[in-house]
Amino acid sequence: MGKKIGSERLGDLYQPGKKVRKRREWRGVKDTLYDYSRWLHTMGILGKFMLNKNNVKAFFRYRWMLNFLAVPMMVDRHTAGLRGNHLRIAHTEYDLVVEDVAKLMANMFRADKNTGNDREFSKKLVILDENEMSHLLCGFPNLIGVGREIPAVYVSVLLQQDAVCHYIDVAQEYGLSGDVCPMPEAEAGVSIDDDYPIFGACALQCNTTCDGSLMGNGVIARRLEKEHGIPCFQLAAPIRHTEDGVQEYAAQEIRNAIKFIEDCTGEKWDWDAYFECAKRFNAETRERMEWLQMSTTEYPQVIGANLALYTETVYMAIGGKVPAFLKADKKITKLAMDSFRKKEMIVPEYRHRAIIWGVQAQYYTDFLPWLQNCWGILPLVDMLSMVSTRMISEDDPKQAIYDMAHLYENMIMRNRTHGGYKVLLNDLWGFCQQFHADMVILWEHMSCKALDGMHGLFEEQAREHGIRLIWAVHDLMDPRVVPRASLRQDVNRYMRSVLREEPLDPSLEEIDDADSW
Amino acid sequence: MKDLKYLYYFEKLLDEANNELVRRAKEEGRICIGSVCSLVPEVLLSLPGAFTVRLRAPRTGSIDMGTYYMTSFLCEYSRALLERAIEGGYQFLDGLVAPDACSMINRAVENMELLKTMPAEKFFYRYMEIPMKADDNGLSVYVSESRAKILTPLREVYGIDTSDEAVRKAVKVHNEICDLITRIGEFRKEENPRITGYEYHMITLASYVCPKDLLKDMLEETLEELEKREPDSGKRFRARVVVVGSEIDDVDMIRLIEESGALVVADRFCFGALPGREVILLNDSEDALTQVCRHYMYASECARYMNREKIDGRREYVDRLAKEYHADGIIYEQMKFCDYWAYERMVGSHVLREEYGYPVLSIERPYAIGSSGQIRTRVQAFVESIEIKKLGKKGGI
Repeated sequence: MGKKIGSERLGDLYQPGKKVRKRREWRGVKDTLYDYSRWLHTMGILGKFMLNKNNVKAFFRYRWMLNFLAVPMMVDRHTAGLRGNHLRIAHTEYDLVVEDVAKLMANMFRADKNTGNDREFSKKLVILDENEMSHLLCGFPNLIGVGREIPAVYVSVLLQQDAVCHYIDVAQEYGLSGDVCPMPEAEAGVSIDDDYPIFGACALQCNTTCDGSLMGNGVIARRLEKEHGIPCFQLAAPIRHTEDGVQEYAAQEIRNAIKFIEDCTGEKWDWDAYFECAKRFNAETRERMEWLQMSTTEYPQVIGANLALYTETVYMAIGGKVPAFLKADKKITKLAMDSFRKKEMIVPEYRHRAIIWGVQAQYYTDFLPWLQNCWGILPLVDMLSMVSTRMISEDDPKQAIYDMAHLYENMIMRNRTHGGYKVLLNDLWGFCQQFHADMVILWEHMSCKALDGMHGLFEEQAREHGIRLIWAVHDLMDPRVVPRASLRQDVNRYMRSVLREEPLDPSLEEIDDADSW
Repeated sequence: MKDLKYLYYFEKLLDEANNELVRRAKEEGRICIGSVCSLVPEVLLSLPGAFTVRLRAPRTGSIDMGTYYMTSFLCEYSRALLERAIEGGYQFLDGLVAPDACSMINRAVENMELLKTMPAEKFFYRYMEIPMKADDNGLSVYVSESRAKILTPLREVYGIDTSDEAVRKAVKVHNEICDLITRIGEFRKEENPRITGYEYHMITLASYVCPKDLLKDMLEETLEELEKREPDSGKRFRARVVVVGSEIDDVDMIRLIEESGALVVADRFCFGALPGREVILLNDSEDALTQVCRHYMYASECARYMNREKIDGRREYVDRLAKEYHADGIIYEQMKFCDYWAYERMVGSHVLREEYGYPVLSIERPYAIGSSGQIRTRVQAFVESIEIKKLGKKGGI
């Protein structure tokens, strides 16, 4: 118990049957104080948020709001075991993500008919899908893109594992099959349950990650258009996104979407504003590439779940619109470079270098810190972080349309689940080589048909490439189907019975977090 | 009623993918291009010198290998196709054009490719981008993809004539068959139809899995036979239903519904005729390829189309069919694990019940239904509920 990495028995902090842990992790005086200051910062954001009457109203109106009490715990779960620069990198990421989500929610509740009901402000908001790029808003500096599903579903499950079980049940009671992906299922459930805030000049939907997500949009659009009179545009991003033949189709969809927003809001597309964001987006991409480059060496610094969650925010939700993120990126790079030069490690021993592939269990994203702390499996990069690193034009409007089309085609997850087997299967082995990985942790999201459909070939080709492959089976947003303990069991069994290894931190091997946030 | 002369023959054709007519066409030197979805314009795969077969896996038993490669969470249709391909059941094919429309079918075909299941020397796989909205932009990609993924490989690999004239010839043959099937289907509108839903399903299904021109004489004869056919006196069924939903190529499905007291008067499902067997009208002022693609795009009732006009149009179409074919109720069916129809069935069954006022039965089913007691019981109960409603109306209750 101290400032040295691996000095705390992290499993001892868990309390069976309780939502919170026994106490905060002791990381030595300096790091503990720093960590506590960030905890206070998070509490400050929550406190400030609750000073607004719209938000208080929303707290009592929307069932999912209760989950946000668990924000500090979520940050704690994702910083477990970290010290020094790595702790600071993680907090730099989470500070901004928390602030951004709080701002998104405040905007939503200000405009929402059920809470703030600021009609003029509502006309400035454009509803986006949860898993959708936001670059189309870069050229509309007076408008704000808001994903209602982000706080209601996506973030809620990050905070509290069973946050959307109610909405999954609602959708199934309405007649939806139980075998579809729980994410669009829960999103449709929130709509059926009438638990979304109501606002916005229009909605921009997109066929994001999968067939289920495309169909869930239809349920939501029906309610938006027919009950609330909010027009919806369905942006069709091509599925075969790696092929040249579909790029003009994709570009035309972007042009049509811009026109739709202009027609609905009266705003005009502003190229200067767009290119300003494009410059920042490119700069952010360059920072991310630095981090990935470090992960190919013996001393990776920016890795795992924190990289994934941060990348999702920066790449999709921010898209160069918010200068603070680029500032944070630079800070992260500086911290990482400092650690890299000092050859600092994240856990005491790196036994395996792993690529995390597939779709993460949203109710257990801190599975990756568990992997590194318990077994010394270093989660170098995950599938969701392996998004486009192509530089986009900073001054050519014609090219910019194709760039946006490219980004919408290459949304997180979608860039791997769509586009044919090469981007999912072949690229994985290429990344294993690039990052010198000896292991793949393959999230098997049981309702993700695009991934399940390659199950046998993943196994066969892993053997051919001499890669250790561990399946981590889950049901994305429903821990009732596969609990967190079962995911750990998948790894424990493999590590003990196949590799015959002992854990780095034995206290983490069996923990009881079934009732935990 | 007296059995249709060719019914047994049609049933035999459906017993295997490489059926007698497929073998005959292959012996004539024609090339066979497989397809797995209604979104691939089948008429373009039937240019002179070629013909198409929509893949099925009749008499499916174990799908263990399909399940190993794709897990038990993918629909049984996709697993059964992969299983059959691994077993060598589609080795008569010379190419396979798959739409990247549904992840499961796409993965099934990708597995077939990666597992090298097709031995033909010049065999090609093509994966098509299919528009998700019916509009001008969607049409442009449909045309370019059809050209690149169907016409070009047919011409370059097999030397098939893919000119405008050849496309028009293929449409002509296609239309002759569709016209016959449509005219046969019209009898289902009668108060006491002279054809059953099962018989019609056999005829339609055969037209998807055989070279169409080889069916023509038999269809003409069947139409003549039906024109003279006398339906049994007295009612043979207790309710008329429209079946709406995902892929049905299982010969037992419609039979089971009809054994349970219903008559299937309209088939709004993949492998059905509504849509799928309507004629394609061509003009001379525009190229045939564009017109064919436009036809498929606007006629399709696939749940994958995501623009609001198409979504609302799907339910309006079902309502129109129910009225036209005098249906008493609607059966929304969905193959288990099908994402598209899971949502469409959920919303469609509510809309048709609550907004249009139809009795609706909503069911999930396996690929090969066999003699499922559960589905039988549900259809029987549905038929009874329709009867009770009718009695209630008569009695003014």
